[in-house]
Amino acid sequence: MTPHSAYQPYEPARRPGGRPEEIPAFRILIHRQFKHHYAELASRVGIQQAQQFWDHISQTPGKPSPVASITILRGKAGKPLADGWSRTHHYELTGAARADYQYCHDYRTSNEGDPHPVVAILTLNYSSH
Amino acid sequence: MSSGDVIFQSTDLAQRRTEFLEAARSGMARLRDKDGTSLVMVPESHLQLLLELRKWSSVSTRLERYLSRPDFKPTVQSLGDLAWLRVFDCEDLREFADELNDAIIAADSDNDLAVLEQCLHAWKATARQLEDPLRRSVLLTRGIALDLVEIDPPSVSPEV
Repeated sequence: MTPHSAYQPYEPARRPGGRPEEIPAFRILIHRQFKHHYAELASRVGIQQAQQFWDHISQTPGKPSPVASITILRGKAGKPLADGWSRTHHYELTGAARADYQYCHDYRTSNEGDPHPVVAILTLNYSSH
Repeated sequence: MSSGDVIFQSTDLAQRRTEFLEAARSGMARLRDKDGTSLVMVPESHLQLLLELRKWSSVSTRLERYLSRPDFKPTVQSLGDLAWLRVFDCEDLREFADELNDAIIAADSDNDLAVLEQCLHAWKATARQLEDPLRRSVLLTRGIALDLVEIDPPSVSPEV
């Protein structure tokens, strides 16, 4: 049996600068295939840009951002996942980091669940063009 | 009388230089060379607009021609210098052709390439995202049966 230790080297750090000033209006989901990309976000783009992305998607998804270029993807890639979802927004965090997301104001995890606003990050990638 | 109605002579380049440049700045200055050739000076932005409109009008016409063929397949070989469009199927290419056509008309009307540049930027960004097989698979899947997990705000991993 492994002895219990209070030392937990991999415990997530708190958000630098403290918690967001506003309570997130949207729950944030990510496609499981890109979860490991998200874990690298702050180290890849810097904590400030990572936080700006989070603040954008958790508060004002779909709105213009003063710090990032946002484009609606075209063709089938830009179509809503289902009724009630937005089109796909392509958010360029930096020249070498970008994310695609959709949002829904009344997402239900089940037929009995309460509707709540969510953002789904569909893709996140760091490759340069 | 508009600036294009005045036809300057080559000798005017020395004697009426300021007037010639003013006409060019305000849209167009016409000059008749000694051999009778008609030359025009316009603001570079106007020339750029015309060149871009010509280029993309030609692309639009080519796309329409491709898409009218029942056996057309969007491949590198068939698209040539438009090979970045190969990630789209014919339905998406039809949508691109329609939007491009609208953007060309709007840019011509506005005397500004902004709307055309926005259109091309959006389609090229989409093409880049679809080049990767995993991103393509996720972006082209419809329905909310996606494998989604909840995440927390970004944080910096502590040094170990």
